[in-house]
Amino acid sequence: MKRSRTAALLLMSTAPLLLTACDRSESASREGLYTSVEACVAQTNDSATCRQAFAKAQQDATASAPRFANREACEASYGKEQCAERSDGANHSFFGPLMTGFFLSQMMSRNGVAANGFNSAPAFRDSNGGWQRPAAGAGGVYRGGTGTAMVPVNATPNRAVTVSRSGFGSSGSSRGIGG
Amino acid sequence: MRRIATAERPDWRAKAAACGFGFHTIDDAPYWDESAYYAFTLREIEDGIEAPTEELHAMALDMVERIVGSEQHMQQLAIPEPYRDWIAQSWRERQPHLYGRMDFAYGGNGPAKLYELNYDTPTSLFEAAFFQWQWLEDQLARGQLPAGSDQFNSIYESLVEAFGTIARGIARPFHFAAVRDSAEDQGTVAYLRDCALQAGIDCGTLAIEDIGVSADGRFTDLDDQVIGCLFKLYPLEDMFRESFGACLPRSGLQLIEPPWKALLSNKGILPLLWEAHRDHPNLLPAEFDGGGELPRGWVRKPLHSREGANITMHLDDGRELRTDGPYRDGPCIRQACHPLPGFDGHYPLIGSWVVGDRACGIGIREDDSLVTRDSARFVPHAIVEEARGVLIA
Repeated sequence: MKRSRTAALLLMSTAPLLLTACDRSESASREGLYTSVEACVAQTNDSATCRQAFAKAQQDATASAPRFANREACEASYGKEQCAERSDGANHSFFGPLMTGFFLSQMMSRNGVAANGFNSAPAFRDSNGGWQRPAAGAGGVYRGGTGTAMVPVNATPNRAVTVSRSGFGSSGSSRGIGG
Repeated sequence: MRRIATAERPDWRAKAAACGFGFHTIDDAPYWDESAYYAFTLREIEDGIEAPTEELHAMALDMVERIVGSEQHMQQLAIPEPYRDWIAQSWRERQPHLYGRMDFAYGGNGPAKLYELNYDTPTSLFEAAFFQWQWLEDQLARGQLPAGSDQFNSIYESLVEAFGTIARGIARPFHFAAVRDSAEDQGTVAYLRDCALQAGIDCGTLAIEDIGVSADGRFTDLDDQVIGCLFKLYPLEDMFRESFGACLPRSGLQLIEPPWKALLSNKGILPLLWEAHRDHPNLLPAEFDGGGELPRGWVRKPLHSREGANITMHLDDGRELRTDGPYRDGPCIRQACHPLPGFDGHYPLIGSWVVGDRACGIGIREDDSLVTRDSARFVPHAIVEEARGVLIA
């Protein structure tokens, strides 16, 4: 079959539709970026999980860090002394940034208790001081590539006073942008 | 490939209303047209469209790698200087992309020929992914299509899967934005947002005109929240030119489609692809336009034209077709003229959808002229196996 098995609408439809997607409205997640196990424990009060998350992130750092052919290229993106030579186990060596922190995310139940299990990922700091982490794994609808994509992490405060609006949209029309 | 006249569903307007498909008729002219459909064989779909789409998509991504390493190519594509490093960085980080649409001339005979990549702001998504799918199911149920008919259309499943895959790489808060007064664009982002919600991603909507900027150059929503990621159904090259554009590279804003898509939604990609893959069966000869007279057998297209605007076509028989539009001054390319196939005076253009990196469906726009304009109608399709000609004694 070359077509979708279903084609559900969630909000656009006037008729209620049954969905198979899981309802996440009753749980929340807690996510943090930590530079050390100690910082993690101070925030979460959960030293076992913090230690495991750190260890897993460190283990994943080689495989998921961006790869560079030489030290200079790596240091250009991540700064002096922030890169190390690594090997992928098949005798291919390359350079990658040192892990400078780790992410920990946990699902929280309604009463605020962390559920079993966690996700962790290594974090890297680029030469501009911005935090990055590996993108979600390739596969499925996305083809695999060499090395892993890095995504920026917005670690700055998330509110800002707006001083101006309508700086985008002057080329638009009611007929739309088309394409 | 055949064009088959068929009876409309008597209740299709009510069905359109029930799913929020308000732009099926635009300025009193029909846009959704189910008085006919295009019938393909499975072979035409898989060998003629699906496989070439995946191959061309891979070639296009490889080309991005070459363009970001070349000031000359950036210049040829007229990428404004202040955005070049930002675009290159977005590619090095492989900032996640969602979707694109390739436009093909294809009539079932000979290879599909690539007209262009709509890789930044493709529309006609909802009608391809949802309403066309519903049409097929309804017409199968009504016995209007041969039993076992199928459709090349897993666009919906691929979109939900793609959102689920990139969910962790999407900065929050995540907003979908389109031009406020465009029903068609608003319908497209409403559908994309619906798919994102089904993938479990919390997200909102915002008019492009309502985006704000703070004193330190970050982009904000109407609640003064700094926007983490913006899906913008708005051309990157227009954002570059407008007053907030200068803030983009240092704003920390994540965009979908990401900045590197500016290299693919640009018709300059066509001569670069031709140069790298000369005589590829799915590519048309193309070159950058140095001005001067357009010889017979060539088409001139601006780098950034959308919806068939500002195209000049000099046919082999000497006729010249021109379309009007807003893209008068920019640089252009030339592409060998390969007219759309005609089906009883109708000229279908095949939009082949790529979600993530997967070719996952088509939508057909049909016009009464060789240039597919924004007036073109959307006509559904089905995969129908040819009668095998078995004689029953």
